[in-house]
Parts: sequence; structure tokens; C-alpha cells
Amino acid sequence: MKKKSLLLITTVVITGLFLISWMVPQEQKKPTPWEVPEKYKKMENTYKDDASLNKVGKMLYAKHCKSCHGNRGLGDGPMAKNLETFSGNFSSEEFQNQSDGVLFYKSFIGRDEMPNYEKKIPDDEDRWAIINFLRTFKK
Amino acid sequence: MKKFLIVIISIIFAFNLAYTQEEEIKKDKAVRLPFNSGILIDNQTCEIPTAKTLEMLIQHRFGKMDNGIKDIWGIYSPGANIRIGFNYSILDNLMIGYGLTGRKMQSDFQVKWNIVQQTRKNTIPVAVTLYGNMAIDGREKENEGIWGVNYKFSNRLSYFGQLIVGRKFTDWLSIQLTSSFTHYNLVDSISDHDKIGIGINGRARFSPQSSLIFQYDVPLKIKKISEHHEFINPSKPNFAIGLEISTSTHAFQIYITTADGILAQEIYMFNRNDWTKGFSNLMFGFTITRLWSF
Repeated sequence: MKKKSLLLITTVVITGLFLISWMVPQEQKKPTPWEVPEKYKKMENTYKDDASLNKVGKMLYAKHCKSCHGNRGLGDGPMAKNLETFSGNFSSEEFQNQSDGVLFYKSFIGRDEMPNYEKKIPDDEDRWAIINFLRTFKK
Repeated sequence: MKKFLIVIISIIFAFNLAYTQEEEIKKDKAVRLPFNSGILIDNQTCEIPTAKTLEMLIQHRFGKMDNGIKDIWGIYSPGANIRIGFNYSILDNLMIGYGLTGRKMQSDFQVKWNIVQQTRKNTIPVAVTLYGNMAIDGREKENEGIWGVNYKFSNRLSYFGQLIVGRKFTDWLSIQLTSSFTHYNLVDSISDHDKIGIGINGRARFSPQSSLIFQYDVPLKIKKISEHHEFINPSKPNFAIGLEISTSTHAFQIYITTADGILAQEIYMFNRNDWTKGFSNLMFGFTITRLWSF
């Protein structure tokens, strides 16, 4: 008797969870505003317009960023749908109006679902190469 | 042998000297990622993840390919070999690691030291790396077929040391040359305890994340260090070719290879598969690595 009721409860719970999963909103959250430290806001891009870094930026973007942010920075990479927060549209005016320093902070220091990349991309030259590449998404 | 060692030591010394001299004038940065991962099929590369990074590896060899469709070219056949390992980068150029291999239940402890890195302005044209490991055979000591009647712990030990010289020639092509020394404390009566080997391996990248990878390792038959008059059934060269796909924290390699030993000393000492004989001597294998930074 006990076994039977246990089985029944388990079945009900599992079925319930399965059905509830349709009701939970699947849409991604909009990101809250970032708190960027003063130091980064004022940061100068020492490699601005350095054409020799174009290829480097493209390669590093493909390796570290593309899986979530997508080929053209639209936030449509294969991993993007697993994120709770929308990862942003890099071609938008809103995104492109941010200073290089702010983008640097968001890209390499990160927060929440956006991981820290200081260890994986340790060289400042490489980091600015990626920031330069993000500028090419501008429409 | 002595001459060989002298040459190696003088090469290392010369590069070290060149490096310190150059540093005084202007810092020339190391080239970007000559390899995507610290391992290339069975070989080590000059790549070491940045300090305080933990790397986990799963290396897998399937069975031989000669049964064809019956067991999907060995993928579903028994007799697979697996190594699971963990490496930790203490410094940007120094890594230690531990791994356990299924066949013989060998535990290995390894050290890799990147002596010099190739630089972008070519002040140092090549990367020089030293790799060494010690493995402990983990099979039960009651097995007289392996250990004989006088079991001694030291008979379980084997050692491997390797000098790796590599160069990233272009953005897409990196090649390494290796020379190595293998020693087993216990071998059967017709084999040698020591083996010297040379090898070549590399990667050719064809897209930002994918590369063609290959390796060819040759155990040398050197009369001078042999304990026997002739070589009976000596170990065969190890050939492998495959694909590598890498992302931010993963590298995935899939390949066709001759050696099922996984550990370098096992391959140089005991590989009897000959790639020229076709499917019956070849197998599929894969490696997955995952990085965690602290």
C-alpha cells in the first residue's frame, strides 16, 4: 500500500513539474544598468585604429565570444538561448555609443552570466583588439 | 649519447642567454597561441595555460578498426583505453599534473616547463619545452605473471623525459620536433629498459576554431644502448592524424591513431601497431580538455 502511494505521489509531482514548465515564462530578462567604475570610464584605448590587430580581434572573438554573442554580435550564438539575460545587440546605436573603456569593463571584468576573461585573455593588446572588432558590428 | 646531451644543453643555454639579453633592451612578447591546448593527440605542446588554471583531460582510445561496420570501426568494440588527468599551472610556464590510465591502471605524475617562448619579433625563433613524468603500474602485486616471484615496488615505475622544440611558422601552421628518453624498471627478458625516440607533430589551422593535427613518433633502434644483440619485435612508429576544435575553455580532438597506450612511455616502449598495415592496426580516439581559472 505504502509503495503504491509513493509511486502515485512521485508520478503526480513529476507530471506537475512537466506541465508547469510550459507556464514559466521562457523569455530572457532585459539586462539591468551596469555600474562601471570611474577608472574604466576614463580608460584610453591605446590600440585604437591599429589595423594590424584586425585579424587578432576577429580570431579571439570567434574563440571566446561567438558561442553566446553570435557571428555578428546580435546575441544569437548557439549558447545564447541558455542565458537568463539577453546578451545584447552589438550592432545597435545604444551599444556603439558606449566608450571603449566601458566596453572593456563589461567584456573582461564582467558580472553575473558574463564571465571574467582577465585570465583567459591576459594581454591588454589582445583585449583592445577585441574591442576594436566589436566596433566593426556598427550598422 | 653524451654528445647528444651536450648539444641539447648548449641549445637551451644559448636561448636563455639570448632571452636575458633581449629583455634588457625591449620586451618582445610571446607569439599568440602556437597551439590550442597543452596536448596534441599523444604529445605535449609548448602551450601551458596561464598560472592558477586547472585543466581536466579525458583521453580515449576505441578498439581496432578492422571489424568495420560490425562494431562501427571499433567504436563499439571492447578493449578501449581511457586516461583521465588533471593539470595545474603553478606559473605561466610551469605545469604539474596527475593522471590515471585504464590499461595497467597506471598513475602518472608529470611536470612541464616552458623554458623559452617564441616571440613575435623573432628575437627568439622557437619555443623550448621540457616535459617529464613518472608512472606507477597499479596492477595487483599477487599477479606473478607480471611481477615474477620476487615482487618489488620499484618494478612498477617507469619514466619519460622529452625535449620539445616548436615554432609557429605562420598564423595557421605550427610544427614541433621532439626527442625523448624512456625508461622502464621492469621489462621482459627480450626487451630493453631504455628507449630513445624522436618525433614530429603539428597543427594546421583552417578556420578560427578548427585545425588539422598530426603526429609521427619514432622509437629509435640504437645498438649502443641496447642490452641485446638484435632487436626482437621492436616497438613501431606511432602515427596519428585528426581534427581539433577549440573554444574558450575546451579543446576537442578526434583522430585516427596507431597507439593505444596513451602515456608517452607506453607508446615509445610497447606500441606494436604499424600504421602501414591498415585498419587492423589503427583505431579512433578522442581527447577533451576543460579549463577552469582561479
